[in-house]
Amino acid sequence: MNGLQLYLQSLLNIKHIYNVLTANVGYRYIKRWVSPTQKEITRRKRRLPAQPESKRSNFIEWNRNSEIYAFNTRLSEKFDTEKLNQAFTHKSYILDELKKQQEMGIEEPKFDISHNEEYIEKGREITSEIVKKYLKKSLPRLPEVGITALHDYLMSEQMLATASSHIGTKDIILTSEHPVSQQTLAQTFVALVGALAESVNVDHASAFVRDFLIVGLANKDLTEIWCPTKPFELLNDVISAERKISIEARLIGQAGKNTILSVYHVGIYANKEYLGSGFGETIAEAKDVAAINILAQIYGLHHTSQPLRFNEELNVSA
Amino acid sequence: MSLLRKGQQWGTFACVWHIFDATWQDPFKSAHLIKKYLMGLHKPIYHPLNQCGDHVIVINSKEIALRGDHWQKRVYFHHTGYHGGATWTLAWELHSKDPTMIIKKAIYSAMDGTLQRRFTMQRLHIFPDDNVPKEMLENVSNQIKQLRPVPNRLYEIPQEERDKIPRLIQYPSDYQLK
Repeated sequence: MNGLQLYLQSLLNIKHIYNVLTANVGYRYIKRWVSPTQKEITRRKRRLPAQPESKRSNFIEWNRNSEIYAFNTRLSEKFDTEKLNQAFTHKSYILDELKKQQEMGIEEPKFDISHNEEYIEKGREITSEIVKKYLKKSLPRLPEVGITALHDYLMSEQMLATASSHIGTKDIILTSEHPVSQQTLAQTFVALVGALAESVNVDHASAFVRDFLIVGLANKDLTEIWCPTKPFELLNDVISAERKISIEARLIGQAGKNTILSVYHVGIYANKEYLGSGFGETIAEAKDVAAINILAQIYGLHHTSQPLRFNEELNVSA
Repeated sequence: MSLLRKGQQWGTFACVWHIFDATWQDPFKSAHLIKKYLMGLHKPIYHPLNQCGDHVIVINSKEIALRGDHWQKRVYFHHTGYHGGATWTLAWELHSKDPTMIIKKAIYSAMDGTLQRRFTMQRLHIFPDDNVPKEMLENVSNQIKQLRPVPNRLYEIPQEERDKIPRLIQYPSDYQLK
């Protein structure tokens, strides 16, 4: 009981809760009109067509400066405030503002802030380089084609936009469009990388890219992003280059040959040594699956391989 | 889904075909063995709502062996639903009418009476002898081991080999056996 009292007292200390608790002191019931009125309001709201998303910056208590400050502090980054502001300002916003001034009747419209085109271009180059270097470091045996495929996946608009919206850029971006498009979100992310590289250094920007963009690979099936098109030939090349022996595929099991659920189990051997196996609907497919299985294990893409590490330091400037 | 994952899935849910030779086997004890394969109980992915059962082909169901005097004493009851429609058929009678019936009924009653039972039974193929269609036989990739080894009967051994069997005593030529 004492414990409960203590809990209630601590609750009362919070001002907000206190207000709620004392709000209905003086009457013991809720008026009978409250429920039907609220039901009617909800009903009318449901009947309305889909309302446009409200713009957070149009709310009266919006304080852009504190948002920018909070963005910087939340991510524990050391962005230069001016550069951070610039990274968030898209060209379309400036053009839009100038247009607005013209419509107001100003003959020589002037809007003296800089946009992020430069940062986007620079940031894209830096991000691309960081991603490539990081992937090469963490997947050292993966061939260039695979690295490029993973790189392209990470640099795709969707991945960049996801990374961008997850760090909370959506409301701070200055652009003419509303709601903010995927493309703008993606561009903002690379602009932020550019701005960070200028504010601190490229090595610090690489940690930013690693923590917010490359971690996107953590829950993905890597073989879905990249899979060799001719796995058996590729595996043969890999094995013969390493051990000077060629591989052979053997049918080691099959079930339900004349049914639609036919399964073939193909094993791959090099000099009578078992390398791996795979299942498939047809023998050709099982052979491919077996080769992909072994290749994915060699390259570290397999679902049983050690997961990608996201705490490695990268020395980009060197 | 990548090809690798598809292959993994395909292998995990592979439907294997087994063959079981019922010669000289007890149908009621074999039923509990065959049931496991039919329902997929031998698989780590088993779940009552998971379709993971295998196919089983039972051959030589004509040659089953019943314990003791079960051929004479075991009774199969059937009721047509009409007044006086009850019949009691002895095991030997049923077996002579349909040699697949006893093992089929044994497997059916070895399983729990759930909604799945009739679908599971569709994966069972019983043949009175070893004449299995070739297409079906090609699917088979496993043989279920018999519970008892088929005994080697004296009258099946050819006379030359029978003579080679060492004898403990030799009856005199004029000995009256009966």
